[in-house]
Amino acid sequence: MNLQEYIESGIIESYVMGLATESERAEFERLCILHPELIAARKKFEEKLEGYASENAVTPPPEVKAKVLDAVRTITLEAPQNPAGDPGRPAGLPKLVAAASIVLFIAMAFLYYQTRQENRDLTGVNDRLKETLDTTRNILKTIVGEQKEVVGNPNVTVVNMVGTQAAPRSSANVYWDSARSAVYLVVKNMPELPSDQQYQLWALIDNKPTDLGVFDATGNKVILKMKNTRKAQAFAITIEKKGGSSSPTLQKMQSIGRMMHTQ
Amino acid sequence: MLALKERNDQAFSFFYDHYAGALYSIIKQIVPDNPELANDVLQEVFINIWRKIDSYDQSKGRLFTWMLNIARNASIDLLRSKSYQNSQKNQELPDNVYRGAANQAILQNVDSIGLKKMLEKLRPEHRVLVELAYFKGFTHEEIAEMVAIPLGTVKTRIRNALLQLREYLK
Repeated sequence: MNLQEYIESGIIESYVMGLATESERAEFERLCILHPELIAARKKFEEKLEGYASENAVTPPPEVKAKVLDAVRTITLEAPQNPAGDPGRPAGLPKLVAAASIVLFIAMAFLYYQTRQENRDLTGVNDRLKETLDTTRNILKTIVGEQKEVVGNPNVTVVNMVGTQAAPRSSANVYWDSARSAVYLVVKNMPELPSDQQYQLWALIDNKPTDLGVFDATGNKVILKMKNTRKAQAFAITIEKKGGSSSPTLQKMQSIGRMMHTQ
Repeated sequence: MLALKERNDQAFSFFYDHYAGALYSIIKQIVPDNPELANDVLQEVFINIWRKIDSYDQSKGRLFTWMLNIARNASIDLLRSKSYQNSQKNQELPDNVYRGAANQAILQNVDSIGLKKMLEKLRPEHRVLVELAYFKGFTHEEIAEMVAIPLGTVKTRIRNALLQLREYLK
């Protein structure tokens, strides 16, 4: 068949304008699949027709639009997504589905909110636990570090401080690192003092007391770093006013310890 | 188009504004003498478009073509309806419907609009055939009987008339 002759036979116009017979329509549609130029020619005529119809439009009375929109709304409410000709679904079902999805949505939203709240709470608890763990770990690390430095150090001499007659149960250990002149104090048992008083550690060098710093009986540190001294024949602890004194109040001597090996 | 398929109210309103005039025009060309009925047809056409939009097949033609044919068919259905026939009874002899329609088709050219106005440019023997086929909705066989010319000639003349109309559309 000559395609150009077919196009010029008027088939396109009768097809578009709805004047072709059923068999002519079927043939045209079949040929359109094979010949894209047929589709192009059809579209060209359709566009012309539409353009002409638009140019010659007649404005309908406005009340028709109102009626149409009303009717369309009613249809939409009656049977949403149910075009005529389709096998009818029960009109109540979509409504039920819609209602169910709203309920489900609300339930999900609530669950989501609740879960998020719980999650936030748990995260908070978790954060606090982690902080505690970090603090504890740091304390332990410090202690282990100090222990290694003080107890495990071969240069350190341990001086056992024993209670005096004034305070027979007082006891503490002084760790003296002779290589670095560092002095550490481990309080084993010292009675708690009024808040205006503190203990003071002294080094006795050639029988003269040298201040090595003040400390409290209570404290969260196991090992107290005191002031350095390069020499000491003995150590003594006295009770002094808060902040310490320049010379020891000997009648308040709590404990004293002598070096095993004097230098 | 997508909004229309999803049956969006507002989109449909725009859609109506865009196409109502062109479709109303074709309805008025087919039902020229009864504005009330033409309004009813337009309303029915848009409701049908809304209902049947899922059955529109893009591969078979433009949306406007589809709608234009819905409007034309609805208008012709009205012409064929008993109530319309009864309302027109006094104007036609019931035992000579065909010839009556043919005569009317030839005579009717006052206040023509749209395509119908364009028909006036055609030769009368062509014009009457297009009038009967397109605006009255008669089949080629019916027309052949009405105007007493062979079916093949009816078909050829109508096709030629449409091709001529196509040229005028430019």
